[in-house]
Amino acid sequence: MPLLVRKTLRDYRRALIGWTIGICLFSGMYTSFFPQMRENPDFYSQAALAKYPDGVRKLMGGLENITSGTGFLQAVVYQLFVPLLFTMCAVVLANRALAAPEESGTLELTLTLPVDRKRLVLERFAGLAVALLVVAVVSLAVLAILGSAVGLDVSFDRILAAHTGLYLLVLLFGTLALAVGAATGKKALAMSVAGAYAVVGYVVNALSADVEVMKWLNVFSPFHYYSEGNPLVNGFPIGDYLVLLAATAVLTLTAVLSFDRRDVGV
Amino acid sequence: MTAVVETEGLTKFYGKRRGLEDLTLEIHPGEVFGYLGPNGAGKTTTIRLLLDVIRPTRGLARVLGADPRDAAIRGRIGYLPGELALEGREKASEYLEFLAGVRGGVAKGRIEALAERLEADLSVRMGQLSKGNKQKVGLIQAFMHEPEFLILDEPTSGLDPLVQQEFLAMVREVRTAGRTVLMSSHVLAEVEHVSDRVGIVRRGRLVAVEDIAALREKAVRKVELHFDAPVPEEAFRDLPGVRELKVEGASLRCTIDGRPDALIKAAARFTVVHMVSAEPDLEEIFLTYYSEDVHHAPVGA
Repeated sequence: MPLLVRKTLRDYRRALIGWTIGICLFSGMYTSFFPQMRENPDFYSQAALAKYPDGVRKLMGGLENITSGTGFLQAVVYQLFVPLLFTMCAVVLANRALAAPEESGTLELTLTLPVDRKRLVLERFAGLAVALLVVAVVSLAVLAILGSAVGLDVSFDRILAAHTGLYLLVLLFGTLALAVGAATGKKALAMSVAGAYAVVGYVVNALSADVEVMKWLNVFSPFHYYSEGNPLVNGFPIGDYLVLLAATAVLTLTAVLSFDRRDVGV
Repeated sequence: MTAVVETEGLTKFYGKRRGLEDLTLEIHPGEVFGYLGPNGAGKTTTIRLLLDVIRPTRGLARVLGADPRDAAIRGRIGYLPGELALEGREKASEYLEFLAGVRGGVAKGRIEALAERLEADLSVRMGQLSKGNKQKVGLIQAFMHEPEFLILDEPTSGLDPLVQQEFLAMVREVRTAGRTVLMSSHVLAEVEHVSDRVGIVRRGRLVAVEDIAALREKAVRKVELHFDAPVPEEAFRDLPGVRELKVEGASLRCTIDGRPDALIKAAARFTVVHMVSAEPDLEEIFLTYYSEDVHHAPVGA
């Protein structure tokens, strides 16, 4: 592994452990509620319908079939909270790649190493991708093991398909933050742009079934490609995932080119 | 022999603010070049341009015969930033090993030897290093791979006097080995004992390049002489290079431009009991150059 990637991962280590534990705890805790839900299907689906007004329920993905394993997993893990948490993790880590060290001044010495700027950005991106992969793999393992323990009855390849989508989704938002940081050197801006895009993208996707404008806008929402294929039911939506991957590639290229041509630290 | 640094009309504007304008400078192999100027004069801008951290608005720069954009040449340079930022939980020794690795490795025991010389504790986490220790870590990483060209931006800031002496000894060793040093400072005293030549930069412009001996001759010096009896003012009036003469009883105060020879010979006729000659103040040298600028300006306009 290249030195700079290794160094990036070493710098991420503590944050990475924290985020991994957080995301695993969160998704694990919710998954372990499933037996209760299964025991009282009528009560909980009624409760879910009654508790949230129509609009809110739409924003949360409908909350239908919440008492089946697939519906439950979709609602509590893949719909909103885990993508949100994982996206925050991606954006925070991405900011530590370029924008944060630029603001604190530590990037200056790194730049004067005999490393091409393009390579620096690529290796920092690789560090980010590997770090997020670690979180994804560990949380996938926790979900798969816990899921079979509580009898979710969702096959591993479906969970793998959904989790792959989750990884590609957060990698995209992380790369967006990296690209804004690479182009501007401002971590607050990078965080706001990526955060706003994630929130707007989520809302647009959630409302796209009912609102005509949103349906058009949904082409630009990463959540559309993340959830449209319903991977927990249908397995890998290859085409949709390739769109997420392609967007990440374009953002990476943007990061490389914009960082290569500007003044750093002024 | 190709110059280590060669710039032509090198200019950098930050928006409308001038960072550096029209710098044409050559630094020769094997010399220690002192780069002097008050804070904000353009020293750090120059250095960052040479290292490709920032890009010139116009003009050319070549470092070690190559374009600064060529990443490979940076492996032959050792650099100490003016505002060195080190942070995190990583130990200083781990960070130094990382830097050494990226630069292609350093001789075994080299880091430890430098740490011992500068009395730096490398087992401390970077975020907890004191200002002085940060500077030491910065010096170690700049010197450790024995680079052909050292660029040191305000190297002595935060160092205590003993460590400063050790640092100056390290710079002399580098010069003896035939390698090149560019060091910036806002205090002449910090660079004059090791530099061969100095460049003075002011408000983004290089106003002079002198060798140290010539600069000393130009320097304005305050001199105080005390005699065993009152002396007549006429004996010292109109001496070449003597200005602001003030004789009060048995004591004399004045400033000297250049050589003190005439004053010394005039004073030799009396009994001198005490003499004070202050080190030339850089700011006064700046003022000399500045007033020269002012004198020349109307001619050009």
